Amino acid sequence: MRNEMTLSFVAIEENEALARMAMTCFITPLDPTLEEISEFKTIVSEAVTNAIIHGYNCDGKSLVTIHAVIDDNKIIMTVEDQGEGIFDVEQAMEPMFTTKPLLERSGMGFTIMESFSDSLSVESMLGSGTVVRFEKTFSPVTEVSRMR
Amino acid sequence: MAEINQIDGIMVVTLSGELDNLEANKIRSTISSSIFTGKIRGIVWDLSRLGFMDSAGIGLILGRMRDLAPYNGETIILNPSATMEKIFSFSGLGPNIRRGSVDSVIGEIGGVLYEK
Ligand SMILES: Nc1ncnc2c1ncn2[C@@H]1O[C@H](COP(=O)(O)OP(=O)(O)OP(=O)(O)O)[C@@H](O)[C@H]1O
Ligand SMILES: [Mg+2]
Repeated sequence: MRNEMTLSFVAIEENEALARMAMTCFITPLDPTLEEISEFKTIVSEAVTNAIIHGYNCDGKSLVTIHAVIDDNKIIMTVEDQGEGIFDVEQAMEPMFTTKPLLERSGMGFTIMESFSDSLSVESMLGSGTVVRFEKTFSPVTEVSRMR
Repeated sequence: MAEINQIDGIMVVTLSGELDNLEANKIRSTISSSIFTGKIRGIVWDLSRLGFMDSAGIGLILGRMRDLAPYNGETIILNPSATMEKIFSFSGLGPNIRRGSVDSVIGEIGGVLYEK
């Protein structure tokens, strides 16, 4: 199967749930396992939350854009903002690193995204924004049960 | 949603729905002030009915562990989903996870504190 979509929304926290819901619907035809769905949903949530709160400081007007392609059993997804950008990507990706400890961020977002996807890459420039790109391959439930 | 109950100095927080950034911000202060006013010596986070959680849940739980630190309070994370369990273990909270009923873990915290 091949499919493609783009979704843009302003940077308010309410849109985190919108993004999770829309992206979960988008992958449903691939028949993923429940655990794959919840891991994918977590990836979306982490990336979108970062764009909204770190990229745009919840400004309520700038746009976060998700672009996704389904290619057979695989999804290739980018989450993009034109916000603040990341000072040092390598440091930002370390577990427990956060620039917003007072908001009770734990600095685990990138660690979770990395663990729950097959590949993750981050491109960022201070003052011009961040693009996070993921790939995740699903094993259709029907195929798993056929193998047993 | 968060439902808060206190049993004998132990606070049981029953979460349902989706625990993300927005939800964590809504429930944080209520839980925090219950800790400070209720002479709490332990928290049980009952996740049996929670449908989704991301890193905001880690921030919320670690933050309340800091609130509890002056009282030497225990933290127990009860019945997380498989995905949540992975998130907790990345964050070093694996040892706080239990399976079973609220009553059985309250007994455990009560017991631990009694022996001290
Ligand atoms: N889209 C972004 N724009 C600007 N900075 C970002 C962006 N995404 C991440 N960062 C930076 O990278 C750091 C680490 O991100 P990560 O998601 O791992 O942790 P966190 O968001 O701080 O905490 P958590 O995700 O656990 O709530 C952030 O604190 C922030 O400084
Ligand atoms: Mg984050």
